[in-house]
Amino acid sequence: MLSKFDYVKPKTVEEAVAFLENNPGTRVLAGGTDLIVLLRRNLLITDHILDIKGIEGLHRLDYKEGKGLYIGAAVLVNEISEAPMIQDKYRALSQAAGSLASHQLRNRATLVGNICNASPGADLSTPLLVYNAVVHIEGPEGKRELGIEDFFTGVKKTALKKGEIVTGVSLPDVQEGDSSYYKKQARVKGHDLATVGISIRRTSEQETLMGMAAIAPTPIRLRELEKKLKNRDFNEETANWLKEEIKNHVKPISDVRASLEYRFLVSGALAKKIMMTLMEEGVK
Amino acid sequence: MCSTAKNKGNCVEYTDSGLPKIAIGFEVNGDRFEKHVDPTMTLLQLLHNELKLFGTKEGCGEGECGACSVILNGKAVNSCLVLAAEADDATILTVEGLGQGNELSILQQEFIKYDALQCGFCTPGMLMSARSLLDRQPNPSDEEIKEAIAGNFCRCTGYVPIIEAIRSAATREREALI
Repeated sequence: MLSKFDYVKPKTVEEAVAFLENNPGTRVLAGGTDLIVLLRRNLLITDHILDIKGIEGLHRLDYKEGKGLYIGAAVLVNEISEAPMIQDKYRALSQAAGSLASHQLRNRATLVGNICNASPGADLSTPLLVYNAVVHIEGPEGKRELGIEDFFTGVKKTALKKGEIVTGVSLPDVQEGDSSYYKKQARVKGHDLATVGISIRRTSEQETLMGMAAIAPTPIRLRELEKKLKNRDFNEETANWLKEEIKNHVKPISDVRASLEYRFLVSGALAKKIMMTLMEEGVK
Repeated sequence: MCSTAKNKGNCVEYTDSGLPKIAIGFEVNGDRFEKHVDPTMTLLQLLHNELKLFGTKEGCGEGECGACSVILNGKAVNSCLVLAAEADDATILTVEGLGQGNELSILQQEFIKYDALQCGFCTPGMLMSARSLLDRQPNPSDEEIKEAIAGNFCRCTGYVPIIEAIRSAATREREALI
């Protein structure tokens, strides 16, 4: 690779933040499944790589009843897809984690890395959107928290300021009867970014939350559509309506992976499939 | 560095950045190593250029093809996307560590028996993904086998013999335990 960089591995978040502040242009390394590829393609030149895997607290993955789920910045995607508690309580997140790339990549990639990379099609973004995830950030000014919707600001752009890192993501606890489902369409299984990614969640209070990826410059919540679903039961009629209506709420583009028309079509098809699946499981 | 190796044709291209080296200690196939590595060196380049272990292959160099798969701290990973510096304190298993002395492992024997290779380039990575699968799931379903090797490209076999070989190796390994 053309880039010449040194490698630092701090033991605390404070050390990491101080290094980032003093060395602008430093790239944060978690799993490296995006970063090392960019470096090897010589698309990125940097002087410093800061590996956060030496910070013990960032490996935290736990669930506390009443508080919810916490996923540290160094937690692997495979740890998320394999956790029975996440399969049980936050199914869409488990499904999205299991669908990301290959087993080897999931053994390196992290959820926080996926959202910090901020691809419009980020696989793990849509479950986080429907679970109202909170992003925990630390920087020179101290700690702050940000809703996941406000974290994505553009294609490959996030709300992170200079010297800040994401230390983890938390998801509020869910009630009994809460259900969700994730689906993605890709050209080939395993090795492709999503053409369309979608998560739908139905809460125990019959509230519907929808998150989609690869159909706008950032992953988005379909808030207007959610409002329209408020007084509707989950049934075949609603599913057919949703299949058509969703096209008024997404703004896809044509790119190397799919045309705009195909993305409209797939958005409707996936949304209907998910609603039908949830219905078959008894969700009303 | 490559020019000093006998196995020159198998060496992964690598240019030293000239930056200060990083001291790391790690274990590969049961042997302990202490090395000073370039910060821009990958684990795959470390295996090839420093340890002269040429079994692990470089295919795409971007984590797509799985030819460079090794088992790092018990997890199958693409060694082309891991920095050598990240391997500090790590335990690594490569294809060279599967057999015992001159005897091939059950998994390797089954790959031969089922003609699960033709050109052989993907085979070391395929074997490591299969090893990692059988370590976490000694009795995998066909679906689990397919999922486990989804990150390993083979352009010769059409995959079916590979799946059969892994299934058969799983049975033989379980029998060997009884």
